[in-house]
Amino acid sequence: MGAYEKPTPRINPDNARFWESAHEGVLRLPRCGDCAAWHWPPGPICPACFSERIGWEEAQGHGTVSTWTVVHQDWFPAFKADIPYTVAQIELAEGVRLTADIVECPADKLRVGLPVEIVFDRVTETLTLPRFRPRRG
Amino acid sequence: MSEALRDKAAIVGIGTSKFGRHLPESQLALAAQAFKAALADAGLERGDIDGLSIHIGWPLGVDYDQVAQAFGLEIDFVNQAWTHGRFVTGSLQTAAMAVACGMARVVACVNVLSFTRERDILGGPHDFEGYRETGGTHAETPHYGLTAPAGGAALAMQRYMALYGATGAELAAVPVALRAHARLNPKAVMRKPMSVADHQASRMVVDPLRLFDCCIVSDGAAVVLVTAAERARDLGQRPVYIAGMQGMAAGRNEFIFAPPGLGINQQSGPRPASAAARDLAVYRSAGIPREAIQGLYTYDAFSPLVLFVLERFGFCAPGEAAAFVQEGRIGPGGALPVNTSGGLLSEAHVAGWNSLCEMVRQLRGEAGTRQIADARALQWATAWGDSVILRN
Repeated sequence: MGAYEKPTPRINPDNARFWESAHEGVLRLPRCGDCAAWHWPPGPICPACFSERIGWEEAQGHGTVSTWTVVHQDWFPAFKADIPYTVAQIELAEGVRLTADIVECPADKLRVGLPVEIVFDRVTETLTLPRFRPRRG
Repeated sequence: MSEALRDKAAIVGIGTSKFGRHLPESQLALAAQAFKAALADAGLERGDIDGLSIHIGWPLGVDYDQVAQAFGLEIDFVNQAWTHGRFVTGSLQTAAMAVACGMARVVACVNVLSFTRERDILGGPHDFEGYRETGGTHAETPHYGLTAPAGGAALAMQRYMALYGATGAELAAVPVALRAHARLNPKAVMRKPMSVADHQASRMVVDPLRLFDCCIVSDGAAVVLVTAAERARDLGQRPVYIAGMQGMAAGRNEFIFAPPGLGINQQSGPRPASAAARDLAVYRSAGIPREAIQGLYTYDAFSPLVLFVLERFGFCAPGEAAAFVQEGRIGPGGALPVNTSGGLLSEAHVAGWNSLCEMVRQLRGEAGTRQIADARALQWATAWGDSVILRN
């Protein structure tokens, strides 16, 4: 594949497991080993109970669109060919919200509350981006 | 919020550079125009300035050490925050606290933005801030192409519209009102008439925000001089007192461009039925009730922020702001005029300091055709929950 010119995630000790898992085609999220709360973004301490026993568990990979936007402006040259594209916040079944793009969905079908499911898109040898599409079945 | 700082500090001088687009002057040159104007306004010499408070640093603006060096100042107190509009209130509050507690005699809040020269740092590959992931600083998520602050305001407005049935045409009332104010301000960069139809015909930038929902990209500087109240009374200008203050909110239920409970990023729980006690602290701090506020001034980088600040501070109930702003209520002569010099949407983007200067003009009775009759108490407040009440 050609050079990938879009920004790539900055991997750090708090978020590495998320990106490693995505590259394996699995959505894993941080979950507290003490109070069982799922949380996002990833961090070193549970924001609910302050525990340091943070684990990573597989999430169901579906949820609903809690808000969305369609980008028409070419702020970033590498995205210019994609305009217009859709970015949404997805409230997962686990209760946290991820921000990601929406694919396989015509703009007039977008709405708050739209059920969506995750798909994994391997964009480089080392990076897989989770995306969401309208839920099937 | 304590009442300990009520009326302990005052604004004694304001100055602005020319405002415009593609101005030839450097950031330091624009800042110097505004700085000299503020000194002349206050009747002070540059040697009287011993503090600096800045939040728009290099490269968009200037850093404190550049200012001190370029202007030949001898500075004993410095505050500099992120290069971010969100720190406008904190920058003024820190100046007020510094003079009230004797850390400095006169603090200059020096603000300059040369957006047209530094255009490529806004949301593009040179916008370092745009690379922050997982929902900050305005919900940027760069690997999906959400790299500019407008994206966060769009996400919040889209959800607001879905929850409350508000429309883009209702939102238009905000930039239309601010343009009406700007038309009374010879200094404003954008003075062409704007109608709701003009707004609806402007291009979509980041749905549901159209071009006219986004602040202008302009160049300009504004300087505000703050000193202790007892010293202010000995100076040439009628003092404008900093009557009350409340700080910025942060936490998992906060998102910079949405009221608490709207459901952006990790905001959880329902929206409160009325303004939260913490957001009403500024009125207690000032000893001035909301009902006595004669004009509201806010950081209007994007038109939804005006709706959100009205709801946050209880000028209307959650979900009612889109209706509240109709029929000229926030425009010239309205029941609650907002950003009477035109704000970031029409006057110039000087990070809100253009509007703070306007508050001072209003409270001195110097606002000309824009004058709010018998202005006595005006409020600066932001969608992210900080505020300052000024009185004369």
